[in-house]
Amino acid sequence: MKPFCALLAVATMIVTPAFAADTSSITIGFTASRTGPLNVDSTGQERGFEFWRDEVNSKGGIQVGDKRYQVKFASYDDQSVGGRVQQLYTRLVNQDKADFLFSPYSSGLTAAAAVISEQYGKIMIDSGGAEEKPFQLGSKHLFMVITSAGHYLSGAIAALKEKNPHAKIAMVYSDDPFSKTVLAAAKEQAKEAGLEVVMDESYAPSTTDFGPIVNKIISSNADAFMGGGHYSDGATLARQMYDQKANLKWISILVAPADDKFSELGAAALGVTVPSQWEPQVNYKPQFGPTTEEFAKAFEAKLHQKADYHVASGYTAGVVLQHAIEKAGSLDTEKVAKALDQTDVTTFFGHIKFAADPKHHGLQVAHEMVLAQWQKANGEVARQVVWPTSAKSADLIYPINAGH
Amino acid sequence: MLARRPFFWIITAVLAVFAILPVLGNNVELRESLIIAALYITLASNLNLMLGYAGYINFGSIVFFGLGGYVCVWLVSAYAWPLYAAIPAAGICVSALALLFGLGILRLRGAFFALATIGVNEGVQAFVENFSPWGGSSGIYLSPIIFKPFGGPAQGLWVIYFSMVAVMGLSLYLSYAIKVSKFGLGLLAIGQNEDAAAILGVPTPLYKALVYSVSAFLPAIVGGLYFLKSSFIQPADAFDLTLSTEVIVIAMLGGQGTVTGVALGAYLYEELRGFLLTSETFSHFQLVVAGVLLLVIVLFFPSGMMGFVYRQFPRTQKVLE
Repeated sequence: MKPFCALLAVATMIVTPAFAADTSSITIGFTASRTGPLNVDSTGQERGFEFWRDEVNSKGGIQVGDKRYQVKFASYDDQSVGGRVQQLYTRLVNQDKADFLFSPYSSGLTAAAAVISEQYGKIMIDSGGAEEKPFQLGSKHLFMVITSAGHYLSGAIAALKEKNPHAKIAMVYSDDPFSKTVLAAAKEQAKEAGLEVVMDESYAPSTTDFGPIVNKIISSNADAFMGGGHYSDGATLARQMYDQKANLKWISILVAPADDKFSELGAAALGVTVPSQWEPQVNYKPQFGPTTEEFAKAFEAKLHQKADYHVASGYTAGVVLQHAIEKAGSLDTEKVAKALDQTDVTTFFGHIKFAADPKHHGLQVAHEMVLAQWQKANGEVARQVVWPTSAKSADLIYPINAGH
Repeated sequence: MLARRPFFWIITAVLAVFAILPVLGNNVELRESLIIAALYITLASNLNLMLGYAGYINFGSIVFFGLGGYVCVWLVSAYAWPLYAAIPAAGICVSALALLFGLGILRLRGAFFALATIGVNEGVQAFVENFSPWGGSSGIYLSPIIFKPFGGPAQGLWVIYFSMVAVMGLSLYLSYAIKVSKFGLGLLAIGQNEDAAAILGVPTPLYKALVYSVSAFLPAIVGGLYFLKSSFIQPADAFDLTLSTEVIVIAMLGGQGTVTGVALGAYLYEELRGFLLTSETFSHFQLVVAGVLLLVIVLFFPSGMMGFVYRQFPRTQKVLE
């Protein structure tokens, strides 16, 4: 019996590729940081890619003219290293014959991959790098689906201005490229809005004791706080501002409060706002792809965890590419690039449109971040969307000093 | 004089193979992998001048690579220097700077020196992170326009590749030339017993400072080439201590003090990692496999691969330096 089984197995292996060749497929290449310091955020983005692929394939694939194509992935671990990214993207294009590319996670790795995408003329959808600089270098094949770093806090500033036109802001942030870009832009926007920045200071990303910084915030007489960087520093800052009774009327922290773990801070989390690329409560009316509810429910049902914005942005990279391919009715790079240039569509992730001028080509110009706030409802501490008002799930609480 | 020895021709043959391989069939993928191999070989053989010859462990050797990258990228992006001027300029600047650093920290020995080199790397990184002309912690982005004189980015990358191979070749020739020179003999004496060497008339402070400076030159140039190719440089990539440590592991793996061993170690290390990374079977536990292999080599071949080869085939010692 055993030899027969083995023979059957071998025969199946030989025959299967012949069948597989019959169904057409599109290959999308990317690298993910499965090891190295960017692992956590990159994993979210990769889950989004994979979930999109499985959904599309289960519905028959991408429609190109009158044919349907299954989506296949070719992917590697970039170890969070820029040099490795270029080697692997070259391989994806040349050996794995990727038709299209997704970006790695983070601005630095995206910039490295963008060189290869441009060199070989392959479209790359960027859902993991928010820096604008790679888009100012004349790339014709790079398209960003998320809001760029320069606009992370613009919603927070607009909302704050509405509540207090003379607010004094303390800006304290991690000394890393992303946070610095976000806060430098926020500073400009605050000045334009007529708000005063009374403190502007960065701290080393490894800082664990914010005591002296919080004292400085208190003595600066600021009403509002904007800053932070990544998870651990942002969460510690929020807790220490609460413990030292910083008496702020407004707190906006980057990244950390967008994680559900932030609720563990209890009362210290209350009132804290966070700019978010996407929240499950946001209810855009999609012209293409699933609704927010469909997306969030299906993801949770399949992976037994809630989708965060890295998952949603990864999924959106797929949705936007699919939209462009179907609109172009072709897999030809230049035709799809043209369709992307003309893209003006609302998805569950929000409105997507790319800059067409050569100076910022491919930069996202329509998608807006929402502002979420941790609030207590029915005895439970949870994130609510408070800005823009058109997308809100609860009213913005201001001032928040009741809890602080 | 060098040209009369067989080892000179071995290096030349290796260079020729590196130069021809990816050109056959326009294999860009092989080229990408060889670029990283050439980078590792250059870094490891220059580290070997300090580690293998003079016996000084430099944990922060990556600082030269990073600074070279920064100087080069900055000259190109801010002052529009042509690449062929910016690259050697980076080498010269960093080498001069290394001479200054060296005069300071080479008064230390053993573990103190090793710690000081980490300190130099961390200090320089902190400085760059706060140095706004170099983009602070955001770094510098380059436009593909810099490759225009070569006919666009696609051709530019070939130019970078051949330059990388040339620099790798220079590193090997240099390591070999130093090894067979009086200067090299002095360094080896310092490595054996610094005090005895000084008593015997080796100008130890001068030799140490010189070798520190020389070992900075080619890594700075290769840093320039590497970051021009990436079109992007930021402090976290430029001063990554992991790379420093890897280079030390490579030198020990191949056989410190030998030219062939270090080059072979670097090449095999990179090829192995590249294979594990892209292989479907191993991609999920590549680091485990690499770790186990390293352990096996350290346990069974403590004097590196070359030590093993020399023991098994004593005659090779006359040919492979």
